[in-house]
Amino acid sequence: MNGAIEIQQLYYRAGKTFEIKNLDLHVARGSIYGFLGPNGSGKTTTIRLVLGLLRPLAGRVTVLGRDILREAPRVLEHVGYVPEQPHLDPTLTVRETLRFQAAFYTTWDWPCAEQLIRQFELDERGTFGRLSKGQKGKVMTLLALAQRPELLVLDEPTDGLDPVVRRQMLSALLDYVSQRQATVFISSHLVHELERICDWIGVMDNGRLVIELPMERFKNGIKRLRVAGAPPGIASPPFALLAREHQNGALETWIVREWEPEMAEYFETIGASLHDVIDLDLEEGFVELLRTFRRPRS
Amino acid sequence: MFDQLDPRSPTPLYAQIANRLRVAIAAGELQPTAALPSVRQLATKLRVNPATVVQAYRDLEAEGFVEMRQGAGTFVREVPPQTRARERASQAAALVRKLLAEAGRLGVSLQELQAAIAEEIGVGTS
Repeated sequence: MNGAIEIQQLYYRAGKTFEIKNLDLHVARGSIYGFLGPNGSGKTTTIRLVLGLLRPLAGRVTVLGRDILREAPRVLEHVGYVPEQPHLDPTLTVRETLRFQAAFYTTWDWPCAEQLIRQFELDERGTFGRLSKGQKGKVMTLLALAQRPELLVLDEPTDGLDPVVRRQMLSALLDYVSQRQATVFISSHLVHELERICDWIGVMDNGRLVIELPMERFKNGIKRLRVAGAPPGIASPPFALLAREHQNGALETWIVREWEPEMAEYFETIGASLHDVIDLDLEEGFVELLRTFRRPRS
Repeated sequence: MFDQLDPRSPTPLYAQIANRLRVAIAAGELQPTAALPSVRQLATKLRVNPATVVQAYRDLEAEGFVEMRQGAGTFVREVPPQTRARERASQAAALVRKLLAEAGRLGVSLQELQAAIAEEIGVGTS
């Protein structure tokens, strides 16, 4: 196990109500890992724990093969971080911001920075505090990429930005990843954006990791089935049954995970018939997963 | 060529990309020795994971449609006419399967479908 990020049995608590429990998370090197979850589910807290900005009460966080708490400076030199809220001095110009940031990184790449300034159409004499939200987002992305990191940690990098800016930022990110085989850990609400680029998905809810799967398995495994004539109690189906709902009429709707086409035969063995298998996209799958996770079947 | 990539589709993106290229090669739109875009160019343009593009190119290489040359890029190979014809036939079969599935969902009978096809073809050639 030598992933870009390894979290083992992490426990963290802030205040009386919020806690992250039994968190195990594994981000393979070279992957683009989409970190999903509703507001307040613990995504940003987890990201801060990964970066060593918060200290877990139990468990272990390893980033790029090193213990983050013991070796934070050495690790963070190779980690590009785009926080939800910019943390830069608003009185500096873009050029000054770049020079300030560059001083921290031995790996800083000026030609790359200059190229991104042009690509992002940034005015380097502009004062950071007076930039538009989109321009601020671009500066943050530029800073993270120009330090040539092995791991990029992005916390809602495109939240609230217009589609043109989002595309520019994602293209720059993917361009970097194609050149450097870097690992990307990205949290976002914009599920459709992640659907295009991620090869792994982790879903958080209420401080816990609900699921962690390769994207294809997540997408192909979750289905909505239309079923008729199934007995009320069924024993050990070959898939994970997340929910079973009666509607008006004879058909029931089942939400299942770990579905395989051959499993259609199962319905004959319980005297039922399968009428339809409906594909869910990532967003629908995500919504169904959370809905059923929060309301476990008895 | 890549206009209609659908990240929401259950067909993986790499398979969609490979399919688009296969069609273009079978149709002669991409000629032998033509260079495909680099992984970096295509990933950035389509905003997909570079690994997705690599997977698509590898599949095409395994099927004999393209050749990946280390450091030089990926190039369309000379594909025998039978292979191209076979590819077009398999595309046609896929189109029909899709049509039949959709018709079934809408409750359109086979006769109605055949009548509609005959009509459309008639309109198209008259």
